[in-house]
Amino acid sequence: MSGPLSAPARVERPETDEQLAIDRPWDVIVWDDPVNLMSYVVFVLKRVFGFPDHLARKLMLEVHEQGRALVASEPREQAERYVHDLHRYGLRATMERSS
Amino acid sequence: MSRTFTRRGEMIRWSLHPKEVDLVRQLVDDLSRAIGAAASPHDAVRARLFPPAVLGDPEADEEVRDLISEALLEDRLAALEEVLALLERGRTQRGRVVTDLVEDEPLKVLTVLNDVRLAIGARIDVEALDRAQVLEDDEAAFPLAVMDHLGWWQEQLLELLDAGG
Repeated sequence: MSGPLSAPARVERPETDEQLAIDRPWDVIVWDDPVNLMSYVVFVLKRVFGFPDHLARKLMLEVHEQGRALVASEPREQAERYVHDLHRYGLRATMERSS
Repeated sequence: MSRTFTRRGEMIRWSLHPKEVDLVRQLVDDLSRAIGAAASPHDAVRARLFPPAVLGDPEADEEVRDLISEALLEDRLAALEEVLALLERGRTQRGRVVTDLVEDEPLKVLTVLNDVRLAIGARIDVEALDRAQVLEDDEAAFPLAVMDHLGWWQEQLLELLDAGG
């Protein structure tokens, strides 16, 4: 068996706009809602994301005071799972490409 | 006013007045109909419980909602059925209907209570409502009172679930 004639060379491909868009993460946003209790939102954030209590409370207050909070920035499939989980708990949540 | 949820060791006890049992049954039935197969996709309750998933990109929104909507609906309908079954399981004790909740049952009850509250809010368009202006004999007064009452139950349950780790 003969060895390779040369070390594998990395082929550099120019990054297209499309490639950059595919690689860009998706932001998961939780929106304010007049019905969901503040304590319930904290509970859901802890449960879905495993956030510690202080972070879940901080994000809940951001939602309450600013109308929305960024809670995760992930590849598309993971962002979809998070949105699914948040909708299952009745939170208003959306995902959008990270800017 | 007696507490609706109390801890009993590993269990959480759900204790309701028979009139509250009837109310929960009716609200759960209403919600099942509002999101079930015969429901209008434009119904306010359905719209609230199955909200947009992607903003600013209708194509991506449709893709994601296609992926998650069916499972969401199945989960919701199953949880509603489960809560009705829990009420059936309840036994009468000193004039109240008592159900001991184990394992993930408290969580099911919590999320169904939340769904029911969201449904009430959607029906009365609570986002457009100025609560300070709602008078006792207004149409929205009773649904709002029910929403608050169920919210008080949720607070009790959250306190117990938090304390239980």
